[in-house]
Amino acid sequence: MEKEKFYTNERNGIPQAWNSIFGMGIEGSELNCSSEQLSNCFFNPNCENSIDQRDLFESALSSIVSSPANSHPGIPIPGGSNGGESIVLRELIGRLGSICNSGEISPQSGINGNNSTNNSYHNTPLNSPPKLNLSITDHQIQGSLPIPGNRQLPPAPFPTDPGFVERAARFSSFGAKNLMVKENESGTPSRSQFIGIAEENKKFSRLSMLSTQDNTERGDSREASSVSEQILSGETETETGMKGQSTSTNGRKRKVIPKGKGKETQSSTTILAKDDKVVAEAEKEESDAKRSKSDEEEIEKEKEKEKTKENVKPPEPPKDYIHVRARRGQATDSHSLAERVRREKISERMKFLQDLVPGCNKVTGKAVMLDEIINYVQSLQRQVEFLSMKLATVNPRMDVTMEALLSRDMFRSRVPVPTTINPFDSSTNQFPYGFQSPNAGILLDGSDNQFSLNPLMAAMHRNSIMKPSHIDGFEASAFLENDLQSVVKMALGGQDQPQSFHGQMKVEL
Amino acid sequence: MSSASQQPTSINPIHLKNQFALRFVRALNTIKNQKGSAHDTQMHCRSRRVKIAAYTAMASVVGSRRSWSRAVLWKIRNRSRNQDLLRNKIMTNHHRRRRHAKLCMKRRNRNSIREDVYLNPFRYSVQESKLRKMVPGGRNMDSWCLGDEIADYIKCLAAQVEVMQTLVDLYTVT
Repeated sequence: MEKEKFYTNERNGIPQAWNSIFGMGIEGSELNCSSEQLSNCFFNPNCENSIDQRDLFESALSSIVSSPANSHPGIPIPGGSNGGESIVLRELIGRLGSICNSGEISPQSGINGNNSTNNSYHNTPLNSPPKLNLSITDHQIQGSLPIPGNRQLPPAPFPTDPGFVERAARFSSFGAKNLMVKENESGTPSRSQFIGIAEENKKFSRLSMLSTQDNTERGDSREASSVSEQILSGETETETGMKGQSTSTNGRKRKVIPKGKGKETQSSTTILAKDDKVVAEAEKEESDAKRSKSDEEEIEKEKEKEKTKENVKPPEPPKDYIHVRARRGQATDSHSLAERVRREKISERMKFLQDLVPGCNKVTGKAVMLDEIINYVQSLQRQVEFLSMKLATVNPRMDVTMEALLSRDMFRSRVPVPTTINPFDSSTNQFPYGFQSPNAGILLDGSDNQFSLNPLMAAMHRNSIMKPSHIDGFEASAFLENDLQSVVKMALGGQDQPQSFHGQMKVEL
Repeated sequence: MSSASQQPTSINPIHLKNQFALRFVRALNTIKNQKGSAHDTQMHCRSRRVKIAAYTAMASVVGSRRSWSRAVLWKIRNRSRNQDLLRNKIMTNHHRRRRHAKLCMKRRNRNSIREDVYLNPFRYSVQESKLRKMVPGGRNMDSWCLGDEIADYIKCLAAQVEVMQTLVDLYTVT
């Protein structure tokens, strides 16, 4: 396939290609410097040379594809508009052809298409050849983008024309509303389809990139997907308004390409620490997902944009890597991924709240759910107030009996913890409310045993407050021993006062 | 708090209810034993006290595990401390008034400052702001923690209401 040719051209002929690109007569050393510069721009310094070449190719491809992306109206490139897309794509095809011929990697042409900021670091190796500067300075997309290859390189035939056209046709599936790849064999209809590209979103550029790669080898597909990832990420970056940083982001994203190619072991140090794993996972997902055609649709679907007004940061700490898989049809931007994680957590919580709040099963939507929750909490609080009023008016023949009952019933449903506690000592302020009982706090003194055990027990059982869920052997024995003190101690294992009221407790019960 | 606070209430809601019932009953006893002044004012004061006792009992059962319970306990403690200071017989009336005014001013300032934060429609929706006001300690939490606290608070509140209802039924029946 043509791609293989590209690779062979690259690997073998890269020096010559770069030579041709960077102006004839550039010395090899200079070429190496330039390529090194480029590679340093793009990748970690520890990349292999072949990888550099391939990645340069990828970057070239990406720049090619991103040039129509940059002409997307969403991106404020001067002169970028839909009308220029068709022209741009023709240029792209021309450039691809030139790539085939001369191995010209068209970062330079891509440079033209990219933001002017990209030119800043692309320009450095390319400044030397004055001829190429012509193309570099002309970064107007609408304007007639000079095809440097066609102008400055010796006019070469297009030996790869049929396959190239096929690829171009795939690119032209931008214009196709359906996202399936069309195997367009003819050359001319592909051209006409380019016009349709003007209507297309750049998503379809991703599709076409993917689709082209689907029919080629896997490495190519990974490459293209990584390119598409880059485009995607580049898109998101630009669309999120990071125009000024497009250089850095593009550079950063390009560094990710080797990872997307399956070298996942490569460090993602070039990426922001916070977005590291999230982006990495997302891109892994992207690269892994390419195997099937449905993956095209994944990338093609509407990217989720975060239009939330909230500036709430995701609650995960940056050093805690949240491994998120980018879902189908969703953006892989690190921010949106984090937002998605946060939203999933919130929806999880919403489901839990739905179980808590009665009658919320049919309610969908966060706002309505919140309303229901608010109503429920308000009603509960009002109930507490009402009941407290009622309890205040109740005949205060209250008692210890109830407490003892409660304590006794309590240990039935609790694992007893032997602690030395006196629950009946209210002098020590167990409840930190302000009122202090004037007594030393022996609640058991002299209270009338108005309430028998039965009503309370009955009531409690009726309301299923006390369910003897289990009775441990230990508990049962303690209970049967009728050692109230020990029982109360065990049951009321939450208090801290180690005083004991043996006598009184026995009196009461 | 020892084991009672360490046991998660989600595992055993019965435990929660029992603990709450116990403490609440104890508090009721305390309130009942307090000597009040006139009957009417006593009614109002007592109902307020019962309410505070209920919330405090529930918060103490939950203990320090939850932010809302910590907020409740802290509030009560502060209030009691301020009230004690106000009621302190050593303080003159003048001092008492000034201190009270200071406290009120502080509270107002604090409320107004924080209100701007969580009433901001750009940051939180209206419902969320309402929720933050209702849940104790919900002012300074982020949305995710707030939801968590709300869930726990609702659970405990429902248990509290249930126990109190049982008690009321019990008392009114007999």
